[in-house]
Amino acid sequence: MGLTAFHRFQDLAREENVVFYYSGYFSQAVVSAMGDALRQRLNSCDATNVTRRKLFSVFVEMAQNVVHYSADPLTASDDADHELRRGAMWVGECDKHFYVVCANPIAREAQPKLLAKLEPLRSMTLDEIKQRYKEKLRCEGEAGSKGAGLGFLTVARDASEPIEFDFVDEPDSATTLFYLKATL
Amino acid sequence: MQNVYLAATSATPEVDFRFDAHRLSLKGESYPENAQAFYGPLLDAASAYLAGSRGADIRIDVQLAYFNSSSTKLLMSLFELFNQAALSGNHVVVNWFHDEEDDTILEFGEEIAEDYPALELLTQALV
Repeated sequence: MGLTAFHRFQDLAREENVVFYYSGYFSQAVVSAMGDALRQRLNSCDATNVTRRKLFSVFVEMAQNVVHYSADPLTASDDADHELRRGAMWVGECDKHFYVVCANPIAREAQPKLLAKLEPLRSMTLDEIKQRYKEKLRCEGEAGSKGAGLGFLTVARDASEPIEFDFVDEPDSATTLFYLKATL
Repeated sequence: MQNVYLAATSATPEVDFRFDAHRLSLKGESYPENAQAFYGPLLDAASAYLAGSRGADIRIDVQLAYFNSSSTKLLMSLFELFNQAALSGNHVVVNWFHDEEDDTILEFGEEIAEDYPALELLTQALV
């Protein structure tokens, strides 16, 4: 790669008001270091405390999703702790709203289940999302979840617009790239 | 009963459980990689403490500026334990601190009060 390619990359990031971009392996240490950097950056802008907390919340849920569920782990898949998995994340600003975009590979056969979880969130009102959240909070954890099964609901609750997502098949591999975007 | 003290880290709150004084406090942020691994031992310690408590005046101060989704369920489990303790003859006050503008944290406190009515939960806005 020539330096010009890096310049083009930088210019595009600047044009798109990217606060930061990370691509690679995600671990808890990476998440909390990025979280600290994000927070420093937010301290120097005029966002309210609530917006900052919501942005931080969406950032943590999405980044920890990569740590827990990306289909490209460096660590053994049965490790519950100290996981390291591949993904990419971008925090940007557009029309005075922050947004977070995240991408990670998932097993191709996991797509329908994920779609069934995410699609209803797009048409629910904030009150409906909060109601669903309350119900989930009180029920038993779901199989396959490493947390409370509340991650996507938390992202949808903290976002100011319906969440967006996409699946892009990766030919020649058993995975599909899963994209998720939330605007604060 | 051993008191528990854990200093805050970037992803875990300060834990100050002074069982001998019936004063417990959680302060900071909570987004550990594995919430069960962090809260499990704290739940065990609280259970052991409560097993021997009758008629105690217990105060829990919770000042969490942020907690992630996997921490929420474990926080609920913690309050469930203290609700049981309140039902079996202890008086439990929870001071639930929240940023005055932050409805999400306030609403979570209200959820706890609704689910665990034996707790005397006081929401306190931080100005």
